[in-house]
Amino acid sequence: MSVYVGKSVPRRDTRLKATGEARYTADLALPFMLHAAVLRSPYPHARLLRVDTSRAEALPGVRAVITARDASGVKWGVFRYTRDQEFLARDRVRYIGEEIAAVAADTEEIAQEAVALIAVEYERLPAVFDPLDAIADGAPRIHDHAERNINIHVPIHVGDVDAAWDACDHVHTEMTRSEEESYFMTEPYAVLAHCDRQGTVEVWMPNASPHTKAKGLANALELPVSKVHVRHVAIGGAFGGRSDMFPGEYITALLSRKTRRPVRLVYTREENSIAVRQGHSMVVESRFGFKKDGTLHAVDVTCHMDGGAYSSTGPIATSVPFLCFEQTYRVANVRYNGYRVYTNKPIRGMIRTHGRAWACNVDMQLDLAAEALGLDPIEIRLKNALKTGDHTPTQSHIPSMASHETIRAVAEASRFREKWKRLPPWHGIGIGCVSVMSGFPMGIRGGSAAMVKFDEDGGVHLISGVVDNGQGNEGVVLQIAAEALGVPIDQIQLTASATEITPIDQGAYSQATTLVSGNAVRLACEDARRQLFEVAADVLEASAEDLELADGKVFVKGSPARAVPLAKVVRSGLLKGKSVIGHGSFGPNVDQRREWIQNPKGQLSAAFSYGSAVVEVRVDPETGFVDVLDVWASHDCGKAINPKEVEGQMDGGVAMGGHGGILLEALRWHEGANLNTNFLDYKIPLAPDMPPIHNFIVEADDPVGPFGAKEGGLSISMCTAQAYANAIAHAIGTHIREFPHTPDRVLDTIEAREGTEDEAS
Amino acid sequence: MSTPRKIVLALTVNGQDHDLLVEPRRTLLEVLREELGLTGAKEGCGTGGCGTCTVLIDGRPARACLTLAADVQGASVLTIEGLADALDGDLHPIQRAFVDAHGIQCGFCTPGMILTAKALLDENPSPDEAEIRQALSGQVCRCTGYAKIVDSVQLAARRLAGEEETP
Ligand code: FES
Ligand code: FES
Repeated sequence: MSVYVGKSVPRRDTRLKATGEARYTADLALPFMLHAAVLRSPYPHARLLRVDTSRAEALPGVRAVITARDASGVKWGVFRYTRDQEFLARDRVRYIGEEIAAVAADTEEIAQEAVALIAVEYERLPAVFDPLDAIADGAPRIHDHAERNINIHVPIHVGDVDAAWDACDHVHTEMTRSEEESYFMTEPYAVLAHCDRQGTVEVWMPNASPHTKAKGLANALELPVSKVHVRHVAIGGAFGGRSDMFPGEYITALLSRKTRRPVRLVYTREENSIAVRQGHSMVVESRFGFKKDGTLHAVDVTCHMDGGAYSSTGPIATSVPFLCFEQTYRVANVRYNGYRVYTNKPIRGMIRTHGRAWACNVDMQLDLAAEALGLDPIEIRLKNALKTGDHTPTQSHIPSMASHETIRAVAEASRFREKWKRLPPWHGIGIGCVSVMSGFPMGIRGGSAAMVKFDEDGGVHLISGVVDNGQGNEGVVLQIAAEALGVPIDQIQLTASATEITPIDQGAYSQATTLVSGNAVRLACEDARRQLFEVAADVLEASAEDLELADGKVFVKGSPARAVPLAKVVRSGLLKGKSVIGHGSFGPNVDQRREWIQNPKGQLSAAFSYGSAVVEVRVDPETGFVDVLDVWASHDCGKAINPKEVEGQMDGGVAMGGHGGILLEALRWHEGANLNTNFLDYKIPLAPDMPPIHNFIVEADDPVGPFGAKEGGLSISMCTAQAYANAIAHAIGTHIREFPHTPDRVLDTIEAREGTEDEAS
Repeated sequence: MSTPRKIVLALTVNGQDHDLLVEPRRTLLEVLREELGLTGAKEGCGTGGCGTCTVLIDGRPARACLTLAADVQGASVLTIEGLADALDGDLHPIQRAFVDAHGIQCGFCTPGMILTAKALLDENPSPDEAEIRQALSGQVCRCTGYAKIVDSVQLAARRLAGEEETP
């Protein structure tokens, strides 16, 4: 019987967050600290002819000014073949907001004033802001190496799509478009860096992988990784927007190296919106072919994503929407051409619901096919959903997937079938489904390790490289450790992130933490138990195999009276010169030969979760306003380590993916200038906006996940978006092809539909 | 840059009196965070859009980033640091409810949420769900979808009314 796993234990970090004791990067200050500010390009595309920093340097209180002349010239990109970004622009700027120079000064005001004194001579170059314009003949070229501005092309073809159409009874083509969304994590980006005279750099910053940051920064600073210490700090949200390297940390470290003083850089909200990451806009063309009985037989999708000025996570971002589709539905013949295109806009990364236009396009196709073939939306999904034991088209085996159970859970709770046939006018109900991976191949940084050590009074220290962006990763590993060790959770201290202490960890990427880091922690605890039992065997005069550890005591199985407290076991060990330290190391079973572009096949992830959502809406035909009445969400996350926390992830997913993603969120532009960089202009859901959410956790214990756990939460963000879109389509009688479905688009679509009906009648 | 003349600002913060020498252009948020080291109030935007800087000025929630310090001369300010009982260090029932009802994820919005909830419950000890959502409508949270924040405020209300024990 589990004591901690599966229990909604309140998270320890939340006590600090509730009292203001939790320290975020901008809350930290070191003695003698300087303040930094960054000069950013005002133009979307320009050559830098001259950067004159002399007046800035002369300003009293300015301690250092840096430009590309001070930088190593090392370029950043997640892959060797995508390194295209210098952290300080050398001779060309490619988007409004790109970093050109930076200042460290005694105060923030002086740093800002100095930035204004840097004189830059630009030669403006023609710019391009739309991915389809960027690939057209004669478009300005943004990078010399990229013909037609194509940054990444992911080609996948399984089966024979061209030959498959003939065998289909229903074939339909659709085109959808989505604008960029923005992360709007509440904490703006910030960095505190200190380079000391030993040549060591300490860095604090919100991040999704301390070890990846340490490596990237070490590369850029031309230091060994051991000299870069990424520290633990509270982090105010990520959602994919803290994932790779940003110029901020490099610039701050460089300023500190130059001044030999700690330097802090705090982004404004506007800088956080334009100079960290944004979501990709997408244009998706799909062709789906079904057999008479509803079997999905052939799929052909081409997607153009606006990647902005640099590669970032390019090949991954180009692939993930396809992967989420191929993990969800069975299809024998499938072709995907994903293009990530350079434009003169800020750099794009993956965001919680990465690819509204992609995911919703799939569900639109399913609903249209169901209608044409006389099936209902539930039937067609049950028919095609992948499940435990299946393989994806690109050859991932699925060890566990309660797809049917999640679909049925929301269909029944919402009385979908009944409502589908009769709802009042302008009411609609819709369903969406998706499967999300728990990690993907990340090469040498794809695994995690953990250690457990003990104090003489029985206290436990868990050491793990996990990072918590707010989703509760620290709580997850603490609960796993308490369960696996058999020690009260309050007796366990966690040291997380701190790269000079913690062993390697892949980070909070691709929903890997619970499965990968969680397994490393479980293994470390099991190893520690083995060692403790060896020591305790002598004390208890029993054989090690007969011992058990629970509630902080080692005892003989079956005779709990023959017990010895953990503290005594630890001390007996120390007397014999045996300090118990448990080690655990875990690498997920993924195909390391799998490569995003060259070889997109083989086991992608050790586990796949599943999410299904149903949404009911009422649309006001006069205003185009969508009133969301109820959301039902069900999630196979494997074993829910902490059910209330999983629900919290589901709720947050409904808000960001569904409500924000489908009804509200989009970036607005003028000639490459982002016009809505602030909370007042970029609408995210507020408390009164949110509908009631009914959550259902469906646990399909995963054979690999720690205690059966896998990805929790992201599936819901995506499938809710799909359900929102389908519900609106059901209400107004036709799908809207552009995302988000703002009131003007709802009205235009209603009008257009009424127009066609008038013509037809 | 010429240094502007400073003014003397008398302020009671979390029950403690301060006479501070500050530039007249300083916001209350800057004074709290930089002069007094009270970093519990956050700067999510600095322009009034997010509510992460919310503190209570004479019991009413206010955006500290939009409040000039000189404008609150003589006022009594409560920040998140002043909410927990200073003597026994125990969490205030609202803080405790946010922890117990899983109303906190990244925590960046939390100080502003909790203080806004306090102002609401001081005025209306048993608000219904719509009243809670309305009271929190100026406080942005990107993580929780607000569901468990609303649960937390309801739990706090029940506990404060003595309808439910704190474990
Ligand atoms: S910091 Fe956003 S409202 Fe004050
Ligand atoms: S908990 Fe992260 S913003 Fe509210």
